[in-house]
Amino acid sequence: MPDAMFPVEMVSGVPVVTTPEQVDITNADGLRAALLESAQRGHSSVVVDMSRTEFCDTAGLHALVAAHKRALAEGGELRLVTAGAAVQRIFAITGLNRVIPGFASLQEAVSGSSSG
Amino acid sequence: MKAVDPVPVEARLRDIQSITDAALSRLDELGLLTELLDRIREIMQVDTAAVLLLDASSGQLIATAAAGLEEEVRQGVRIPVGRGFAGRIAAERRAVILDHVDHTTVLNPILWAKGIRSMMGVPMTAGDDVIGVLHVGSLVPRPFTSYDTELLQLAADRAATAVKSMLAHADRVAVTALQLSLVPSALPAVAGMEMAARYVPGRGVLGGDWYDVFTLPSRELCVVMGDVAGSGLAAAVIMGRMRSALRAYALETPDPGEVLDRLDRNVRHFEPDALATVLYAVIDAAHEQMRICLAGHFLPVIALPGLPAEPVLAAAGLMIGIGDDTRRPVTTMTIPPQALLCFYTDGLIERPGEMIDDGLARLCRVITAQHPEAACAAVMAALIGSEPARDDVALLMLRRRAEDDDDA
Repeated sequence: MPDAMFPVEMVSGVPVVTTPEQVDITNADGLRAALLESAQRGHSSVVVDMSRTEFCDTAGLHALVAAHKRALAEGGELRLVTAGAAVQRIFAITGLNRVIPGFASLQEAVSGSSSG
Repeated sequence: MKAVDPVPVEARLRDIQSITDAALSRLDELGLLTELLDRIREIMQVDTAAVLLLDASSGQLIATAAAGLEEEVRQGVRIPVGRGFAGRIAAERRAVILDHVDHTTVLNPILWAKGIRSMMGVPMTAGDDVIGVLHVGSLVPRPFTSYDTELLQLAADRAATAVKSMLAHADRVAVTALQLSLVPSALPAVAGMEMAARYVPGRGVLGGDWYDVFTLPSRELCVVMGDVAGSGLAAAVIMGRMRSALRAYALETPDPGEVLDRLDRNVRHFEPDALATVLYAVIDAAHEQMRICLAGHFLPVIALPGLPAEPVLAAAGLMIGIGDDTRRPVTTMTIPPQALLCFYTDGLIERPGEMIDDGLARLCRVITAQHPEAACAAVMAALIGSEPARDDVALLMLRRRAEDDDDA
């Protein structure tokens, strides 16, 4: 079921889920549903644009990790756009930055390669 | 929208509604389900009515309540989703009507042995999930209509509400019992080390935070702090399993990195959907050194007498439940006499709209190298106050005694 908080858009043939300022236990189910919907539409890779997100707790990470595992199993990948310092910090502490590819811009995440 | 004679539907619905509303206040939910089934039998003029609930872990429907078909519950009937009559309803998430009941259409022999001639069943759903099946049967051949289906679906929605409340209640009771058994009621008495701890559930929902303190035969002292993603019974059960597994690996191998590595493999194999952060530290028998390994967990804090508290600069390692081949680094540090060590879960310092480091700095400002009980009280007062915490909070403090003060 589409969730207004987690819109899914197609950008150059890749589904992009945009997350709000906060992703936490109160709305992580919405993120989970949006990511599942992208996968069910037959896309193995999905981009999560977290550039507006300033807070992500364990529940949010759980939804992202589930999507990451699903994408890997289907031969694709989960790609993150993480611009905010607070979110980057969480990904560093949890070690997720080494496992889930992060990109500086949506464009780079959609093409799957960093310009740098 | 059906154009078929709406008045009886309304009246019959009111009947179902009245029984559930009145019953909710005085019956437990299983009693309510049975009473609801009795009423359905009466209103729809059928001979049997039964509820099977989905056990998600086995993918089976389990007979839970029945009227006119009590043996189904007493014999603990289980139907795999996708097979037989009830299994098909759950798998296809739609009503199924049978005008021919025998071993070719129905898996459960109780139903055809009883002489049921016609059956109708509907899915019970909670949100997007199927949680069970409600079915009725008639001993005389009966053509069930779409109008009957609609009515039964309304009853199933009612029953689903009761079941959700029943399961939530059972969850709460079980989680509370589990939590009480898992968080050590008394910290171990260890000469030369003082300890104190706090555990506070977030907004009344018990989550997956835990801590553990135990000694090894080598007299090393082990400290565990963990946070399983999720809440309620599922998280508490995983937490319990992780706690036991970690203790077992701690006995087997001295290297904290190896312990977390084994724990990670265990979790990924047996709990493939679980995700957790864990801190595991081993303090030597003399309490002079600590080897610490982090799996996505926040940095502990150390305070020395007369100095500002600061985070222990342990290297970050990947959370439990994801898996890659990189070994988590182990950081070795000295514990000076009278040093206070503070371990905690994210609920203590995470605030929406703020950097983790700001929360960590706030924690450091309120920690001083005092008695762990006083230090715990000061931290909880300053960081939690009187507001219910949004997330679970677990807090554990250890202070190494001064050397001339060994046996108080």
